[in-house]
Amino acid sequence: MTSSSLFLLLIIIVAAVFVLGRKRSVDVAQSVGGIRYLHSLPNYYGLLAAAWAAIPGVILLALWSAFQDVIIQNSVFSLLPESYQALSGSRLDLVWAEIYNLQKGIITEASDPAFYPAVEALNNLMTTSTTGRTVLVIALTVLGGVWGWRLIKPEQRARNQFEKVVEALLLASSMIAILTTVGIVFSVVFESIRFFHKVPFTEFVFGIKWSPQIAINAEVAGSSGAFGAIPLFVGTLMIAGIALLVAVPVGLMTAVYLVEYASSRVRSIIKPLLEVLAGIPTVVYGFFAALTMAPKLKGFFEGIGVNGVSSESALAAGLVMGIMIIPFVSSLADDVINAVPRSLRDGSYGLGATKSETVKQVIFPAALPGIVSGVLLAASRAIGETMIVVMAAGLAANLTANPLEAVTTVTVQIATLLVGDQEFDSAKTLAAFALGLMLFFVTLMLNVIALAVVKRFREQYD
Amino acid sequence: MTTNTNDELAQIFEGWSSTVGKPTLKDNARMTTRGVDVFYGEKQAIFGVDLDIGKNEVLAMIGPSGCGKSTFLRTLNRMNDTIDICRVKGDIHLDGDNIYDKKMDVVNLRARVGMVFQKPNPFPKSIYDNVAYGPRIHGLVTRKAELDEIVETALQKASIWNEVKDRLDQPATGLSGGQQQRLCIARTIAVSPEVILMDEPCSALDPIATARIEELIAELSENFTIAIVTHSMQQAARVSSRTAYFHLGRLVEVGATDKIFTAPEHRLTEDYITGRFG
Ligand SMILES: Nc1ncnc2c1ncn2[C@@H]1O[C@H](COP(=O)(O)OP(=O)(O)OP(=O)(O)O)[C@@H](O)[C@H]1O
Ligand SMILES: [Mg+2]
Repeated sequence: MTSSSLFLLLIIIVAAVFVLGRKRSVDVAQSVGGIRYLHSLPNYYGLLAAAWAAIPGVILLALWSAFQDVIIQNSVFSLLPESYQALSGSRLDLVWAEIYNLQKGIITEASDPAFYPAVEALNNLMTTSTTGRTVLVIALTVLGGVWGWRLIKPEQRARNQFEKVVEALLLASSMIAILTTVGIVFSVVFESIRFFHKVPFTEFVFGIKWSPQIAINAEVAGSSGAFGAIPLFVGTLMIAGIALLVAVPVGLMTAVYLVEYASSRVRSIIKPLLEVLAGIPTVVYGFFAALTMAPKLKGFFEGIGVNGVSSESALAAGLVMGIMIIPFVSSLADDVINAVPRSLRDGSYGLGATKSETVKQVIFPAALPGIVSGVLLAASRAIGETMIVVMAAGLAANLTANPLEAVTTVTVQIATLLVGDQEFDSAKTLAAFALGLMLFFVTLMLNVIALAVVKRFREQYD
Repeated sequence: MTTNTNDELAQIFEGWSSTVGKPTLKDNARMTTRGVDVFYGEKQAIFGVDLDIGKNEVLAMIGPSGCGKSTFLRTLNRMNDTIDICRVKGDIHLDGDNIYDKKMDVVNLRARVGMVFQKPNPFPKSIYDNVAYGPRIHGLVTRKAELDEIVETALQKASIWNEVKDRLDQPATGLSGGQQQRLCIARTIAVSPEVILMDEPCSALDPIATARIEELIAELSENFTIAIVTHSMQQAARVSSRTAYFHLGRLVEVGATDKIFTAPEHRLTEDYITGRFG
């Protein structure tokens, strides 16, 4: 039986258990004098019995599906000749793919006759596994259902027990996000470790030259290129910094205007316009930066006598990126400023403060924790943005503090490293993971710092 | 216990023409209001109120919930300006100046007519900065020592100095509710207003804190003009010299406090103070 039809069958059984459980609770209620002598409403008894049926079966199904491939693969490989078992990971994957395709009938001729017994074994194992899974899962579900059904008594606290089921369900959902994050972090960490076997950690973190050459030929000396990440991080911080210099003041002032000053009519015009700004695809911002902003800036700076302005510059990318995140900052700030209680405003106005005094002295301090986290979110946006930089700031990893030169950023390099056909164990490809890890670490630090700032502030004022 | 539905009340007001008692004062008035109507959008909340508040008197405003006491109080220092949909008509004068005049400096007005709110609303700043807030924005002082003195005097007048003098740099939000309310009073008197408006200043407080604030009001009335909204008739009786009874946006009756509580003239006032509504 296929997974989906098995799943469907499970749902039917569980639904039946619910109906039967509910009915049983009503029946037992008759013997004690009616439904109001039950501890809980009949639905709770049904739900609880259904949970008894569903949970063990679903857990078994999940475990089985998770481990069956590994177990089958291992037992199939044990049938292969010694020479195959010594192969490295990616070669073995190819062998496995061939055996799998043979079993499916996608290919008919094996490259090595030694594969045929393995294919045979795979065939048997798959059939056994599927049958075993179906039988066991259904049996467990039915058993669980019967158990849950038998537990139903008038004094059973179904309502409270079901609360536990709900809690477990909520916990399980929150685990999904956490486990995914942990999984991603682990895979990035492992690939990064492989990278650091090829390129020393210190060279990567402190190196000032970035030119990951394609290893055309392993014999060419220095074919692995230079992997100093500093130029990338400097470029990232410069562009993100310029963007924040634009977006934070403008966004905050926009929010203050909208919340504190604008009449509701003006607000109803500006807010949708800001949303339009937020809805423009980054690619469009990118070519605006590359085709309009960058030449204008070049013309402007050459006009005032600054030479050597590159036609791709950090400044152009940063400015446009700043414009892009203005609506982001303003809508977050809008929310937190709105959340400052009216009574604080009243208190300040009641003492004869003007609007701007109130904003500066009462509303900002009260909204600061929210504003700080909003700015940090904006910073992560700026650091993560790729498209505008590719188009307007270039790919050249210059180590420079001059915003008029072309620079590149971490995310841009990750993208270029992984675009196209790649060998998954070359230093060049693995460098993407190391960059990702560093970036993750930097944003994590940013968040930690922000939390610390906010916490200090809270202690002081709340 | 009879309760009146809104329809019945509307009927009562059909024949209602003007306030019972003496809402206006001859020569002692600090604030005067004439024919004040207040609207929230289309809805009228205050109907033609004439009322004077005398120098150095404590005027209590009582009436059932929703009758417009807060609304009326807030017209006296133009706090209603901060509500988008609120419109005020009629004349309101402070020491002879029309406060709704175009030339009126609202910021200055609110320094002259201070306000204490129903819920204590200290700023998220230190105790000292809360009290210093008004003097600072109005530039009342040039030297730190003067500011220190203003802060200390205000806190003393609000009878909270002894409790906070050792922790002036601590956040005001760490004080108890009663202390916060006294701090808010100190904050208001630190700008030396001429009139203090209080909107149910004790509604969040226990009897002990309430008693202290009532003492405080008695002391303050020597120097300030005070208008206080309260739901407690005992409180009105204890602190005020005149009482105004509001009902559904109308000023029904005004008179000396002891007269209002012993021999009210209007049926609605009598019903209210004998506990038949509200
Ligand atoms: N911001 C507002 N927007 C619209 N209507 C309002 C607003 N504030 C008050 N009102 C209305 O105006 C009327 C008077 O309200 P107000 O707050 O002045 O009553 P109150 O006498 O102070 O009542 P309470 O004793 O409950 O504080 C009420 O009908 C109320 O619904
Ligand atoms: Mg009120």
